[in-house]
Amino acid sequence: MSAPTDTTDTPRETVHDFTTEALDWKPYVGMVDYESATPSQRAALSMTPSNKGISPYVLVLAHEPEALRERTPLFNDIMYSEGGLSRGGRELGALGASVVNRCVYCAAVHAARYIQLEKKPEVVEEIYARETKADLPAFEQALFDFAVDLTSDPSEVGGYHLYHLRNSGLSDLEILDLIHSVAIFGWANRLMHTLGEPQRKA
Amino acid sequence: MSETMTLHADLPEADLPDVIDTVLGLDASSPVLALRHERAKLKQLTQTSYFAALRPAEPRNFSYARRAALAARMAAAWKTPELAAHYTAALAAEGGDAEETRIADPAFLPEDAASPLAVLLRHVDLVTRTPKAASRANIEALKAAGLDDRDIVALAGLIAFVNYQVLLVAGLKMLRDH
Repeated sequence: MSAPTDTTDTPRETVHDFTTEALDWKPYVGMVDYESATPSQRAALSMTPSNKGISPYVLVLAHEPEALRERTPLFNDIMYSEGGLSRGGRELGALGASVVNRCVYCAAVHAARYIQLEKKPEVVEEIYARETKADLPAFEQALFDFAVDLTSDPSEVGGYHLYHLRNSGLSDLEILDLIHSVAIFGWANRLMHTLGEPQRKA
Repeated sequence: MSETMTLHADLPEADLPDVIDTVLGLDASSPVLALRHERAKLKQLTQTSYFAALRPAEPRNFSYARRAALAARMAAAWKTPELAAHYTAALAAEGGDAEETRIADPAFLPEDAASPLAVLLRHVDLVTRTPKAASRANIEALKAAGLDDRDIVALAGLIAFVNYQVLLVAGLKMLRDH
């Protein structure tokens, strides 16, 4: 036998600290093999944009195609729908949730998107340095604090939070969009951070 | 609170009332319902995701009653009484047994801490309340307790969905009440 050439088999470094660099994700459970996937699994997998290939994460979720089929368009609508809260605002909600739940992979993806959209790397630098105690400009502070508080204890959000969000200029639709972006990362973090781990790219 | 899907077993899922609207008592006059309708697509996908998590066509090793019991446990752990009541009613409607009724109480853990049920409930509690503390060892413990890869993904999906629902209910309640 010749020496193995598949570099994905070589041990790679698990990433434990928050970063904005692109990471890989290695599951703790087996992935669905696309070639032997059932018609239902193939249909759910076909909802992933084909130009990105099918990620290990989606191939893990394909074990339960009925749920994946609903989840993919739900996630996309929450993060990309027209109007309401800005794309960057939604990414900040996602980042706040991912910092509390310590989903390093989710945080890396959505911190990078936030920076790309808003051109404010200093916001991410401050969040990564001081995490839930980050000291941010007023608007970003309002979004981030709500994401942190809702994620940390949903039973504790109330009038104080709503007053603060409205005082920061958010409409009710923008507040609803923020709630959705935080909630969907309560979902995503509980999959990505528990079913696998982030690794440095080869 | 007693309005669960099984009480409408004769209706197709598409015609069933929205679970979150029902749980929060949002009627046609509610501004929060009008606001939710501005995001009609994701509202509908939240509802279909509920059926995929709680009443999938292939429930395999997690019965509908078991799923409702675990959901009631998670909602109660986050002090979301409206949602916990919904799942407690669903658990009864699904014919849950005495063990499932105990599971719905977040204070319950089996005396035998090494039993598969104890491993399962510890995992549900950990990922619900402190997901940041989860590690590979927790998944290995589920495998050792007899869960296969698909079981583990189904369980993760159920925990993740119910926590999404808890967060959404909390946020909508904030808008409803102030």
